[in-house]
Order: sequence, then C-alpha cells, then structure tokens
Amino acid sequence: MLKKTLLTMALSTMVTGGVQAAQISDEVIQEAFYPYASSVPEVDGIKAGMVINQANVDSVKDVLDPAMYQFIKNGDYEMKVGKTTDFALHKSYVDATRQYAGETKLGEKVGDISGSIAGRPFPQEPSMDDPRAGEKLAFNYKYGYNWGDSAAIKPFYWKYRDMKSSKVERTVKFNFHFLNYNHRTQQEPFPALTPNPSNLFRAIYVQVLEPFDVKNTQLLIQRFEDDLKRDNAYLYLGFQRRVRRLSTGQTTDAFLGSDVMIEDFEGYNGRISDMKWTYKGTKNLLLPMYNHNELELDNETHKDKDGYKVVAFGGKGGCFPNITWQLRKTYVVESEPVDPNHPISKRQHFIDAQTFTIPRNITYDRKGDMWKSWSIGQAHPDNHLPQNKGTGVAIDDSFSMVDIQANHCTTGQFKGIVDPKLTPASKMTVQNLRASGR
Amino acid sequence: MSKINIMTLNKLAISVAMGLTVGTASTAIAAEGEMSGFVENATYYRDGVGLSKFRNTLQVEFAKPIESDSLGNSWSNVSINGVLRGTYDAVYSLNDDEFGKNATEPYLGSNWHDNSTVSSAALLTPGSPLPCENDPLLCDNLDGYMDHSEKDVKYPDFNDELDFVRELYLTADKNFNNGDVLSVTLGKQQVVWGKTDLFRVLDVINPVDYSRHNIYDELEDIRIPQWMANIEWRMGANSIFDDSNLSLVWNFDKFRPNNLGTCGQAYRMIDAGCFFSSYVGTPNGLVPIIHDVEEPEWKFSNTQVGLKWEGVYGDATFSVNALHYRQQLPSLHFRAHPTMAGLPAVDGVFDIHFPKVNMLGGSVDYYSTQMDSVWRLEVAYSEGEELPRDLNGHKETDMLRYVIGLDKNLVIPALGTGSAFLISAQLFGEHIQDYEKDMPNEKDNWIGTLLFKGWYMNNRLSPQIIIAHDVGAAATVVAPSISWTPDNHWSFNLALNVKSGGDKKFPWSVAQGAVGDFSGQYEPLARFLNGPIGVANQEDELQLTIRYSF
Repeated sequence: MLKKTLLTMALSTMVTGGVQAAQISDEVIQEAFYPYASSVPEVDGIKAGMVINQANVDSVKDVLDPAMYQFIKNGDYEMKVGKTTDFALHKSYVDATRQYAGETKLGEKVGDISGSIAGRPFPQEPSMDDPRAGEKLAFNYKYGYNWGDSAAIKPFYWKYRDMKSSKVERTVKFNFHFLNYNHRTQQEPFPALTPNPSNLFRAIYVQVLEPFDVKNTQLLIQRFEDDLKRDNAYLYLGFQRRVRRLSTGQTTDAFLGSDVMIEDFEGYNGRISDMKWTYKGTKNLLLPMYNHNELELDNETHKDKDGYKVVAFGGKGGCFPNITWQLRKTYVVESEPVDPNHPISKRQHFIDAQTFTIPRNITYDRKGDMWKSWSIGQAHPDNHLPQNKGTGVAIDDSFSMVDIQANHCTTGQFKGIVDPKLTPASKMTVQNLRASGR
Repeated sequence: MSKINIMTLNKLAISVAMGLTVGTASTAIAAEGEMSGFVENATYYRDGVGLSKFRNTLQVEFAKPIESDSLGNSWSNVSINGVLRGTYDAVYSLNDDEFGKNATEPYLGSNWHDNSTVSSAALLTPGSPLPCENDPLLCDNLDGYMDHSEKDVKYPDFNDELDFVRELYLTADKNFNNGDVLSVTLGKQQVVWGKTDLFRVLDVINPVDYSRHNIYDELEDIRIPQWMANIEWRMGANSIFDDSNLSLVWNFDKFRPNNLGTCGQAYRMIDAGCFFSSYVGTPNGLVPIIHDVEEPEWKFSNTQVGLKWEGVYGDATFSVNALHYRQQLPSLHFRAHPTMAGLPAVDGVFDIHFPKVNMLGGSVDYYSTQMDSVWRLEVAYSEGEELPRDLNGHKETDMLRYVIGLDKNLVIPALGTGSAFLISAQLFGEHIQDYEKDMPNEKDNWIGTLLFKGWYMNNRLSPQIIIAHDVGAAATVVAPSISWTPDNHWSFNLALNVKSGGDKKFPWSVAQGAVGDFSGQYEPLARFLNGPIGVANQEDELQLTIRYSF
C-alpha cells in the first residue's frame, strides 16, 4: 500500500514537472499580516490615553525596550499611549507572499537567498529552535513592503541638536526618493523594472535643499539584488559640479554629519551577510506607531499649501517625538557585526511583526554599553496625506537618533508621499545628479 | 558681430535678467521660485608683502519654475536659473604700494626670483602695472586682453562683458513615451566635463579667471560662464548599460581666453601679465613684448562645439568626449624685423593668438570592492595647441594629458571622529608629442596631489590638507585649512598656502646673442618651467574667509 502511495506521488511529481513548492497556508498569512483581526495585545496597567512617566514607568517596564525605559526613568521623556491599530499592508504584497514565499530558501552562507521574487520571504512565525530564524527575519525586513514600490519624502527636515542645551545646531532640508527595481507588487511594472542589467534591487536618491553651504548636494545609492555586493554610491557636490564616486565600505560613517550611521538608516542599511542574526523572542511592546492627523503638530518647521505640518518634538533636548505609542506584537532580533573592527558590539532590533518595519533599535558599543537609541515613527497611511490613503504603506513620519553617550541627537520630520509619479526610474540615475545639480 | 552689437545684446540680456529677477521677486519667487546667496569677506595676508586680498562679495542665486503649459504639454521641469555676483577688492586701496597702478616692481619677476640673471637685470624692463593706467602704447597693444583700469580690478565683475551675471539660463525637459528624456539648457552657463579635482583635462569648455586666486579657488568660482546650448539625450538603462546619455554642447559666445591676471594685480598666473607689459632692449631701442592680441571675432565658424557620450556599465562609469574649441592660454607668435635678421619688429615682439584645437578624450571610474576604493582615469588628446619655444616664439604640437586618481573614504576612530575621512590622490601627466629642445617645458611632466579631509562635530568642523608637487618644476604647495560652520548661516575658513620652488632657469637665445650669456635665465622662459606653483614661491599666505549665507 505504501509502495503504491509512493509511486502515485512520484508520478504526480513527474506530471507537474518538478518538486512542488510548499504552500503558504491561510493561517500563516492571517497571522503574519492580520495579527489584530480578532484581538489586540492587552497588558495589565496599559491603557490607551495614559501617560507613562517617571512616576509609573517601573510598573510597565516589561512593555518598554531598555533604552526607552531609561529615558522615561530619567525624566527625559513622557510617553503617551494610543490604541493598537491595524497597519494592514497592501493586498498586492500579501498576494505576492502567498504566490512566492513557498519557494524561498536560505542558502548555505548568511546572506544567500533564492526564490524570493516579491512579498515577504518567510511569513511563518519564527522559532527559537531555528538557528537561522534571525536571518529570516532580517530578510523579511529587507524585502518588507517598507515604502512600497516607490515613494518620496518631500521635504524632509533633519535637525542636529545638543541634548543638554536643546540648541538646534543645524537644520538640513532634503528630498528623498526611493525606488524598488525588483520585488515590486503594486506599481507597474511588477514584479520587476526592466531593463536592469546590473540587477539592482533598490535605489535611494537624496537631494539637499538647505542650508546654502550644502545646497545641491545629491547622493544616489544603488543596492544590488546580490547581498554580497556592496552598494554603488555617487555624490554630487554643488561647488564641484561633478559626480564623485564613493567607496561604500565605510557603513559606520556618520550620514552627512548626523548621529545616524549609514548602516543605521531605516533601521538597518547594510548587508545581511555583515551581521550574525539572532532571534530573541516575540513580545508585546510599545512601539512608535500612530495617526499623524490626530497629533499636536509642529507649527513652525514646515508650511505648505496642503496645510501639512510635520511631527513636533519635545522632551530632553527636543530629541523625542510628540506622538502616541501603541502595544504591538514585536520580534526582538539582535545583530552582531562579523567584522571584529566594527565600532559596535551589537544592535537590538524591535521589529513590528505586522509591517516588518523596525521602529526601535538600540546600539551597543564595543564595551557593551548602550550607545545609541533609534526610533522611527510609523504613521497610519489612512490618517495622513489624502494621497497616501489606501496605499497600505506604514509611512515613516518621524525619527530620532539619540547618541546617549555624547548627549546629542538628530531628529527627522517627514512629509512622506506614496506616488509613483514622484520617483520615475529616470530620477534614480547618475546623469540625473548632473542634470539636477547646478 | 561687432563689439557694439555684442554690448547691446549683453545689455539687453541683463535687462531681461534684471526684469525677471525683480518681477519674480515680487510675485512668483514668493510663491514657487527660490532665491539664496551669501555675503563674504576674504582677507589674505602675504608674507613680506602684507595684505594681498580684501575681497567683499555678494552672490545671489535664483531658480524660477515656469508653468510648462505655456510651452506645450510635452515639456516639463522648465525653469529659469541664474547666479549674480558682485565683488569689490579693497586691496588696491589698502595696499596700493604693492598692488594697483602705482605698484611698479624694481625688475621683471621681482615677485618670484632674484635679479641675478641678465634677462631681468639688463635686457627686459619691469612690467608696467595696469598698463592702461600708465602706458598708452601698451594699453593699446593689450587692448581687449590686459586692458584693465584700477576700477576694473577693484570691481572685476562689472566689466564690459557684464560678468556680474555669472549665469542665466533656461532649462527644459521633453519626455518621450519610451522613457527617454531630451533636456535643453540654454543661456549663460558653466558646462563641466571630467572627474578630476584641481586640474583641467576634459574640463576645458569654459575659460578660467586665474586673477581671483591663481589656481587655488574652486573652479566653480573661477570658470568664466559662456553663452551656450547644452542638449542632452538621456536614454536611461538598456540591456547592456545601466545608464546611457548623449550630449551636444554648442558654445556660441564670443571667444574669451583665460584671465591670467594683469601686471599690478595681486595674482598673476606665472607672472605672464608683467612679462606681457614689459619691453625688451634691442639695438633699435625698447620694443614692447606684445604688439597685438588677436581677438577672434564672433562668427559661426569661430563658435565651439562638443559631443559627449556618458554612461554606467556595471561597476564603472565612463565618458567619451570630443571638443572643437580654442586654446585659452596665449600663444606667442614672433614678429620678425622686416630687414634685420634675428631682431623683432620695432612695434612689438609678439602677437598673441588663440589657435583652434580639437580634443578627443574620455574618463572612467571604477569602484573596487576589494580595496573599498574608487579608481579614476581621465585622458585627453589634443591637436592644434601651440606651446612657447625660445626660437620663433611658438610651435604647434599634439598634447596628451591624463590623470589617475584614487579616492577612499576611511573611518579612523583614533582621530576622534565617527565620520569617515576622505583620502584622495591624483597623478596628473602631460606629454608634449612634438617636443623641441628649446621648449621651456619638460617633454613629460607630472604633478601629484594628495587631499586628506576630515569632519568633526557633526560636520561643522572640517580640517583638510592639500599637497601638490610639480615634478619638473621641483615645486610644492602645502595648503592646510580648517572650516567651521557654527549654524545654518555663518561659515569661517582659515587657511595657509605655502609654496616652494621657482629655482629653475632656462637659457634664452636673446641673452646669448645680445651679451653672450649662455647660462640659464629666469626671464622670460623659465616661468613656464617653474609652473604656477614655482612662480608663486614668494606668495605664502594666511587666509581668512567669513561668509554669511541666506
């Protein structure tokens, strides 16, 4: 009987032309993308509308990451709690996960992956028994929906602040543009832009608008599908009027003089293969995710005809966003550099399970002391600019990188827009740097 | 086109520019356009001389988008852009013993060598400072080239060419259904080719004003903008290249040479200005060095045109460039006496010409992952250039110029900053294809440069050092500097500029014939051998620049 069953299976395989991919079950999809369909996380002592401050922080320590706990304990910040909301990603990304995730596999070496065309590569719940669970979660972040297939932050205000005096030392105004060449699900063409002879995965274009001394500086970063290949980066300096190629191995370089390393950008901006990834468990934590239009916003920094205002900042040094935080299912992952000369010993990443964005990071120096705390606030797209409604993109809306040891911070205030017209492929070229520069 | 017509056109252009600026300032700039700029003071102190620069600058830049509906729906990104600059250098009032119309030198070349050779001691007169203030004959001979009055050198932007309008151009893109973009930039502009710092190998479309600060100012500030059309066809990616673009540059402006600095100005490239405004002693009396300067008239056949193909292939970016232009450095054509062999014409030794040149070149840069460094190569081969020589004044020769560069960004924690340092090294090479022994140049020469730059305090404090060494001239410049940007408006730059060299001599046939002196001479030819670094060997300076941006 068993022999007959095996023969039937073998015949079936021959007919279908190969090994059948494992199917992604509806349960896996549901848990991965709609974890709050039937209920939201509940923790004793946490209620929407409450404020966590010095007086009560110890009673809710378990829902805070260690750095945020310390800030509140020190009196640097008071955290407002909001309701947990459903940040559902665009259906196209969910469908792509269903279509392709069953064929995705890790290779032998860290950073090797095959079969990932679009969607979340590993939608299954991670397991502490899986030695490569951390790496899978890292790939889920890398190929996460993030800004969707393309988007712009236009404009984007970075402020460099002295945390002791609250003095804003510099304000740099940018435009940022993001474009996915592969792993596209919603903006045509998908799943890939062609031609793409070098097999680029993604590109980021940065244009500095103010102040005068760095005006017209532009940066183009091209990331390859091959994780082992370093980025290509091009810098246009207005006063030189030419494009300069950059060596990109120095990922710990401070990005434009800020407290943000190139490697810190968006939560992690390096090669998967540069780190050893460890899954540390799943928790319910307070993460910076909120409805932008319901906040008390900054009346000074940005004004435009849309009436849009950016997130306001407060707390010690003006380093903390005036937002609400909500209880979220969170994957805790640690990354440790493979390079022994790397200036950090590890990062703790607090990854939102539904969106796979990284709203919180803590960086530790080589001695193991807390060094930097990174927050990137996610705004619900349906409670933001009208053109973002229905995009299914968790809008990066505010960031703060606090250098705890230097008592210094860099904050970011965004006007994020998901609109394919703002980021055509022609914008993400070296020639565009020359053409857009003066 | 006559000079009067050009001036009329220029004035008309300025009126349009000013009208646009005022009009847009009052309406559309407030709504959509943007304007920014700075005021700046540059104070330089030269060792042994005193104040060498007290330049005050106002620069305003603007960009005004134009509704593309008015040009038809197929055009986009239409805008008018401009840069206006006015400067006043008070050094000609504050240190008028050293610079300006009264700054007569004791002998030719006193600013860079001693008077130990007969060329300056007996055969050549000192240069006349600002000839148009002191010597009507020289003023007439140098008309259109080194005819500056003292007012002109104090206010160099407010000249007949209306250089205070540094740039004024219209840009527009035409988008095609296949994704290609045709981009047009029309007006007074700078067009920059190449990938090299400090040297001009492919970057030769615009002439340069060396009178501002010799070779040491940013090229963006010293290129002389020209009226040009720059048309680009951006083809984007295809199955082979990640990017591919073709561009045509048509420089339809009247030719302008490099400004080498007039005798009496604080900066004179290889002291050519004082040589050109001197006289040589002959049996027929003193003869002016320069008789006339050829000013190529404006006509279609005198316009300049270039073509460039540029792209990205894998990890390399590349360009192939071709340019038909005029040599921007002067070529000295000897004027023989009609009857007395070996002697110059009595009304001037040389005429200055600017010959037509054809150039073919290219560039490539490549990022090496293994070295985590970027390699750059830039090459230009030209035919038609004319170089000086002792006999007959000049010779036409093909030239090969090239630069090999290496750039690396490196985080060096031991130096106390988390920002990566930029380390950049270049080797510039020049080969004279049709070399003659009486040319005051090496057949092959090289200049090496090294830049080391760092950033501290969130990029608000930036020290750097640049070192350049001219092998043939045995001349070196070391230029450390530090810039401090305390906020979004103020910036301060303190720099030192120290040169050595200027010891090379070159035998001169006139000294041999006139007084039987076969030894090496400083004047007039060794200036070419010593190069811009060596000739400036007595121009060590401490420099402070303060800028307020808005």
